[in-house]
Amino acid sequence: MTHGLDSKWTRRRFLAASSGGAAMLAAPSYLRAQAAPIKVGILQPLTGALAFDGQQGLMGSEAAIKVINDAGGIKSLGGAKLEMAQGDARSTPDGGNAEVERLNSDGVVAIVGGFASPICLAATQAASRYDLPYIVDVGVTDAIVQRGLKNTFRFAPGFGVVSRTALDNLVKLNDAAGKPAKTVVLVHEDGLFGSGLAKLLQAELPNRGFDILDTIAHPTPARDMSNVALQIKAKNPDLLIPSSYYGEFVLLARTMQQQRIKPKGIYSILNGAASNFRFLKEFPEAAQYVMDCNHWWDPRKEAAQALRKEVEAQGKFFTYNTALNYSCVLLLADALERAASTDRAKITEALASSTFAGHIMPYGPTRFGDGQNQGAAPVNLQVQGNDIKVIFPDAFADAKPVFPVPA
Amino acid sequence: MSAPRAFAPILMILALGAALPFVTSSNIILNGMVTTLIVALAGYGWNLLGGYGGQFSFGHAAFFGTGAYACALLQQRCGVNAWVAFASAITIGGGVGFIIGYLSFRSGLRGSYFALVTLAFAEVFRIVVNASSFFNGAAGVLLELDARPGNFQFASRAAYYEVALGLVGVALLSTRALERSRLGAYLVAVRENENAAKALGVDTLKTKLQAISLSAAFTAAAGAFYVQYFLFINPELGFGASISIEALLAPIIGGLGTAFGPLVGAVALHELGELTQWLLGSLPGADMALFGVFLVLIIAFARGGILGLLSRLGRGVHGMAGEVMP
Repeated sequence: MTHGLDSKWTRRRFLAASSGGAAMLAAPSYLRAQAAPIKVGILQPLTGALAFDGQQGLMGSEAAIKVINDAGGIKSLGGAKLEMAQGDARSTPDGGNAEVERLNSDGVVAIVGGFASPICLAATQAASRYDLPYIVDVGVTDAIVQRGLKNTFRFAPGFGVVSRTALDNLVKLNDAAGKPAKTVVLVHEDGLFGSGLAKLLQAELPNRGFDILDTIAHPTPARDMSNVALQIKAKNPDLLIPSSYYGEFVLLARTMQQQRIKPKGIYSILNGAASNFRFLKEFPEAAQYVMDCNHWWDPRKEAAQALRKEVEAQGKFFTYNTALNYSCVLLLADALERAASTDRAKITEALASSTFAGHIMPYGPTRFGDGQNQGAAPVNLQVQGNDIKVIFPDAFADAKPVFPVPA
Repeated sequence: MSAPRAFAPILMILALGAALPFVTSSNIILNGMVTTLIVALAGYGWNLLGGYGGQFSFGHAAFFGTGAYACALLQQRCGVNAWVAFASAITIGGGVGFIIGYLSFRSGLRGSYFALVTLAFAEVFRIVVNASSFFNGAAGVLLELDARPGNFQFASRAAYYEVALGLVGVALLSTRALERSRLGAYLVAVRENENAAKALGVDTLKTKLQAISLSAAFTAAAGAFYVQYFLFINPELGFGASISIEALLAPIIGGLGTAFGPLVGAVALHELGELTQWLLGSLPGADMALFGVFLVLIIAFARGGILGLLSRLGRGVHGMAGEVMP
């Protein structure tokens, strides 16, 4: 088929056809102009000591942005797509602070992330200078939401809620099994979360009928945990409560396995390894039946399972902060949708009045009080076979607890 | 060098620096400059002792952390006004410097032994602060956010910048004054040959103690300013190894034992960091590797730091390069 400029193509017809064509070409760009992409700041520690966690969080945010854009973007803003502006906090508060400045000048509408408490403290404070809405993904220190910063929202539970839930569920677990555990040894890393938790447990456990035989602190990083394991062996407690980061807990669990130290249960709180698929894959025997009280996704939600499949298909591990960041970005998208504006004050207002249920965490609809999501709570998990199962609360559980563990 | 010739370049640079907020209102630049000036100030402390006195410390974090914690705790626990707390923190930092100096120099520790003992002090401080509930343990100290100048908290980054520049200005002028003073001459004598200096009648212990106290006070000022800027300090941030390294890297890169060295070094390090991030920012971590390569090149090829290189190239700015260590 050839269309030469033969005699049928008069000047008038040519003009009519070309102007029509021009209009057609112009139409999409006109639409694009109306729905300019919305920049969302994603701040994570992508380098430095916390790089692994930062990458895990980033993966969740990326997945959420893709889901939102594939579903047609922010509809109340003419289908505007979200565009990620990535910030690397370099695992330090000043790194986070500098990146907030950069993201702000890049014109982001809000920032999601932070991961570590010191980074979150510095970043939320910097963002508050510009009334820039900030959604904290993990940062468990309760001070983050107790400073009266109007721009700061934390989606996940803080330290107070996590430790209280962990203690309540421990008592429930023990009572249901006929109180097999009476004596406890605490092992904790000597940093912010380990020593804080140990102090709290030392005060609370005796009130709840447990006898603390010993409290053992260790530094992070620690290259050898055999001394700690030997101390545990000597005390022979019914229950071991470790609060350590990934490397140290893996070392301890492996050493205990080698030394055949088998308490009736290992019950950790906010542990870096106990609810980590990497640990399970690399050391399945040492990980067996370890319990943890931690952030987790809702295993009954389809979107959670889909995300897990997607992450695992890339050969990566699905961790709680992937799920948390995924949910936080969805929460922000919901606020943008309702605010129908990229105005910071309106987004902040929309976040404060948020009742968002489309996330993949086991929390129910969001309800913020002083910046803290009031419904946020941790769950109890246990390694069973090749999977990590939710054992508490019953509403979200996909397995029954195995306690005391079979000898 | 006459007094005007010695001090004029410093005052000129400070005046130029003070004009920066009138040229740009970009908070990215101002924030970058504030963090650079904090490093420079800590570097001035290190330079007094390490650059002029030849006493290399690997543990200036001990003073940085002391300044930061003293400033934060005085406000939080005792309700002291922030400015008073800031001044007290500098004094306390100087005092801690004197004590550490007395313990190490009295025992005749020199060279690598002195370096090791300062490293040990910083680490002991970190562990004690981490474990003790008096210092709020690993949770650190968080100051209440209340941006009023009376509180040493400013709503604008420009104000923080001007204060930081003022502190660096004081450090610069003091360093230049030290160069011209008897103490400065004694210090250089100690650096070049301690035994010879002693034989000539220099009280080397007293000289070194004065130097370490001053040095600690400047680094403590950097720590106290840090806490006023970020309103948060924890054991790792205050006493961790990274601040010790930054404090010694700035003067070494800039020009050891020169008045402008720490400032030039801190600015160069910052700009180098920015440049590598700009070049390779989309690849997390790659910029840090490139940064490391640049650093190795500077240290390998620019003996005497950047100022040393400049003066060797025959372009040494009068009064800027000063005396550069071989």
